[in-house]
Amino acid sequence: MFIDFFYKLKDQGVPVTPTAFLTLHKALSRGLIQSLDDFYTASRSILVKSERYFDLYDQVFAHHFEGAELTDAMGLELDELARALLEQWLQDPKTIADALGMDAAELQKLTPDELIEYFKERLKEQTERHDGGNRWIGTGGTSPVGHSGHHPGGMRVGGMSRNKSAVKVAMERRYKDYSLQGPLTRAMMGEALKRLRHLRPSGPRDQINIDKTIYQTMKNAGEIEIVFDRSLKDRLKVILAIDNGGWSMDPYIPVVQTLFDYTRAQFKALTTLFFHNTIYDTLWGDPARYRKPRPIQEFVRQDPDTRLILVGDASMAPYELMAQDGSIHIAVRSGMPSIECLKFLAQTFKHCVWLNPTPRYQWDYTRTIGLIAQIFPMFELTIDGLEKAIAHLMSK
Amino acid sequence: MTTNNFTGASHYVLDAELAQIVNVSMALEMPLLLKGEPGTGKTMLGHAIAESLKMPLIVLNVKSSMKLVEALYQYDTLTRLNDSRFGDSNRDVSDIEAYIRMGKIGQAFIAENRCLLLIDEIDKADTDFQDDMLDVLDQMSFDIMEIDKTVKALQRPVIIITSNAKKDLSDPFLGRCNFHHIAFPDPKMMRKILGVHFPDISDTLVENAIAAFYRLRQIDGLEKRPATRELINWIRALQSDADFNPKQLVKNDLPFLGVLFKKSRDYQTAVEQVRRRVKY
Repeated sequence: MFIDFFYKLKDQGVPVTPTAFLTLHKALSRGLIQSLDDFYTASRSILVKSERYFDLYDQVFAHHFEGAELTDAMGLELDELARALLEQWLQDPKTIADALGMDAAELQKLTPDELIEYFKERLKEQTERHDGGNRWIGTGGTSPVGHSGHHPGGMRVGGMSRNKSAVKVAMERRYKDYSLQGPLTRAMMGEALKRLRHLRPSGPRDQINIDKTIYQTMKNAGEIEIVFDRSLKDRLKVILAIDNGGWSMDPYIPVVQTLFDYTRAQFKALTTLFFHNTIYDTLWGDPARYRKPRPIQEFVRQDPDTRLILVGDASMAPYELMAQDGSIHIAVRSGMPSIECLKFLAQTFKHCVWLNPTPRYQWDYTRTIGLIAQIFPMFELTIDGLEKAIAHLMSK
Repeated sequence: MTTNNFTGASHYVLDAELAQIVNVSMALEMPLLLKGEPGTGKTMLGHAIAESLKMPLIVLNVKSSMKLVEALYQYDTLTRLNDSRFGDSNRDVSDIEAYIRMGKIGQAFIAENRCLLLIDEIDKADTDFQDDMLDVLDQMSFDIMEIDKTVKALQRPVIIITSNAKKDLSDPFLGRCNFHHIAFPDPKMMRKILGVHFPDISDTLVENAIAAFYRLRQIDGLEKRPATRELINWIRALQSDADFNPKQLVKNDLPFLGVLFKKSRDYQTAVEQVRRRVKY
């Protein structure tokens, strides 16, 4: 039962396990699930283990049980528009009917679902009448059920009305915001911070210092005194190099900087440096890239265990990377092509990553991204990417 | 196994979806993992279930430095050492078991009646803790190494686990739990929640306070957005102010913003925003 559904979830990238699927069947066989609504909630809580995949689950569910179109942005947009239309229809049937050139009385005969279908068809045909469409009226708006009365003593499940079928709940895609694929924004700051907290080696905490214990005990004439030591936390040094030239990077710089500044306390040292497009023989300590040059040759003197994190879109004209005097700044004449400088950095610091705000599927279209990704392990500047990058930085 | 179904408690507003999940998890005897923003009532749910099913509640507050053993049992070596030296206690020093004290999970296992074990904020501990706990919860037993004894759960406790962060727990751990994410309550739900906490509150106050509250939550760049708890406290504060008139709220005259915003930067942002809106 539901094997298709299970595999569809798997195909769409929801990490589902056979064990969980069996558990679901256990629930089914015990008669815990008696309706499609029950199935929706129960199977989600059993199969899907992160809210990140709730959205995907909703889509697959709607697809499987209702034939909703899967990951088709156009289709979903139409869905939303159609539903918005339905909302308006419920408030003012006449206007909508007129707008669509239909007879209100005729439309009234249709069920809500038929109406939605009908609206969708119409919308596909005449795409220009969308103006009111993005006005998205509250999702639960049509609920006519009175439930505001409360009973002072007991409660309350009955009060909650869910006058939508599971499929419709699924189609709402309430969990869209929890998807972790979009680029890093301010709102995701807290979550990204959590990822960065992993960037900390932690040794055992409390250790008995045997030598001191023996010494103190002897000193006390045999009265036992145990001495505990806090094990030294060896903290990381981090160099953060940000590409702050060019418009494409602008939205990400403050986010990344704040992110690392917040976590500064957990690092032994955090140095923020800047570059434009790619690195020649200097990085800069000031955002204007003018006053505080830091020649990369000097970095050999740094602790080789320092973690180097580069943030940039890695997109530029190939000659900037490959040519001997490639810099777009006329004054910079390093004599070494930038790609060699990057390789030098990658050799100096064996723990290094490149975070790229460009979405991964676009990486193949820019040649320099591919070239740089060969030198530095490159990750997307998303929560997911950040997590992977941290994992990479922490590996031995 | 139990015929008792969970339907809600006197101070908790339960939505049908969550009730279903709680009941399925209890029937399948699987731990239920709850995630969600702070202030969505994850911890409260544990209390509510215990109250409504009349089970004793045992809360394990996870701390970052916690080792699993602490949650299971503790071997009090220091007391034993002292007892052996001074000999002034009535415990038998040669009997190690007298110095074993049960931790929260241990207590839940040896409880006579089926109880509810609430493991709060598991994400605070490191992954080792979570993975080790897995085995214990799976087997429903653990060994006390010092006395070579196995403690088996007399009654399988109902287990609720909460996690604040959106950080992922390890895969094998998740595999053994049911999962639910509690979304922040929408205004409609919030009205009901307030109804439970303030049975005789005026409708205007509720409406205006909720409207203002959700407006404030939308301010950009807040470090900690106010949650249900803050709203309830805010309404308490408003009620206790004799000069306060609910109609003020509509005009964006919002007193006691400090109750809602606990971080000074957030507070300033909020005050600024509110002031700006008053002008228009």
